[in-house]
Amino acid sequence: MPFVRSSTGLALVLASAITVNAGPAVSQEKTAPPQAKPTVAKICSNCHQPEAGSLRGNFDGVAYKTQSIQVKIDDTTEILRFDKAALKVQNVPAENPDEPLRSIKKGKEVRIAYTEKDGKKTATLVVAKPAIKIAPEKLLSTTEVEKLVANGPEKGGYLLIDARPAPRFMEGAIPTAINIPFPAFEKMTDKLPKDKNALIVYYCAGMT
Amino acid sequence: MSPNSAGRAEKLGYTNVKVYHEGLPEWTKRNCTVLSSQFLKDAYIDKDIPHVLLDVRDAASARKGFIKGAVTMPAASIAANIAAFPPKDKKPPIIVYDQNGGDNAKNAAKTLVASGYTSVTVVTGGMDAWQAAKFPVETGNLATAIVYVPKPRPGEIAIEDFRKIALVTPADTLILDVRNRDEANAGMIKGATLVPDEEILDRLADVPKNRRIITHCSTGVRAEMAYHKLKEKGYNVAFLNAKVDIDKDGNFKLEKP
Repeated sequence: MPFVRSSTGLALVLASAITVNAGPAVSQEKTAPPQAKPTVAKICSNCHQPEAGSLRGNFDGVAYKTQSIQVKIDDTTEILRFDKAALKVQNVPAENPDEPLRSIKKGKEVRIAYTEKDGKKTATLVVAKPAIKIAPEKLLSTTEVEKLVANGPEKGGYLLIDARPAPRFMEGAIPTAINIPFPAFEKMTDKLPKDKNALIVYYCAGMT
Repeated sequence: MSPNSAGRAEKLGYTNVKVYHEGLPEWTKRNCTVLSSQFLKDAYIDKDIPHVLLDVRDAASARKGFIKGAVTMPAASIAANIAAFPPKDKKPPIIVYDQNGGDNAKNAAKTLVASGYTSVTVVTGGMDAWQAAKFPVETGNLATAIVYVPKPRPGEIAIEDFRKIALVTPADTLILDVRNRDEANAGMIKGATLVPDEEILDRLADVPKNRRIITHCSTGVRAEMAYHKLKEKGYNVAFLNAKVDIDKDGNFKLEKP
């Protein structure tokens, strides 16, 4: 099924490509540059590029005693120091004003801005990923969608996109919708309108 | 999934992206959906997914050529025969076709939606499209009685079985919550482990192989996606096909989707 394909498929392709080109393994090892630690977790790289002085990953824990933060970036763990007085924390509930990092749950996606000196990273800013909220002006009601659909895509001037997996779409979809399952978004950008100002309406199986 | 998609489209520079957040569950309360004859064949008939298939043309036209498994019920007679349909709370998928996917089928679908059926689907292009695709056509007498025997989807756990496991989870079982973190932060089933569906394949180490895994989300859709991913990786896995509401104390409500 196309919708369950993921980075694993790509990883396999890459791995086999490397095997083919590797040549004598020993000499390769000597010349290969050391692998840089990732700065953006895979899950974040869907939307974010690496940037200097910034890490993106899953918050793992905090120790206020030693003023250090632990963050997981895929399989690696980064430990950063911080200065409690200077550290800024954003998008965190105001329940622990003294030690705001305690309000970040383990696993929460965070961005950490840092400075680096003598190979040691000091966090200056921790931003928790905000909840997915849609601005009210971007929401359409059932009545509004009914009106669009009654006019049809040409007269109504819209593209209606069903973001559910293909098997669900096949079982029945809103008239005039096309199917771009969310996991396949990047592979199917050619289905989007050429005109960047065209009205695009997304829906799926409800409040997800 | 729709807010995420909308976010990505905006990143690509689209300036007029909207989200119909209530989505299909609200749409189907007031409207029918559509599917192509190809999808009728692939998603229901070939997969043997239980459904009610209605031929709403007049009986004489239907006898000349119909889709296997169809029940004859001319559109105008549906309202009078509504008692012959499976109970609404079983949410049977009802698929309606006429000659060409026109008003006949649409009116039949409207009657069914107005009667409280929430999974009513019209075959686009009707019998004409089915025949144009060269799919098999039956002739002669059609069935007149609706038979609908619900059957779980592959990998689906009964809602009542899930409820028992969620209240007292056996040691050899793990409930895997595959919603996103924001949803989970608002409340999780006690003892469940959170691995959002989109992260599963990168985090298989967090999903124990020696336990039975039962996935759930808020609608059943992502739970089923996660089920397929784990099944393919050799897990003993099932999924909950239900609407799930969980409060901050872990109390939960389950409802057939």
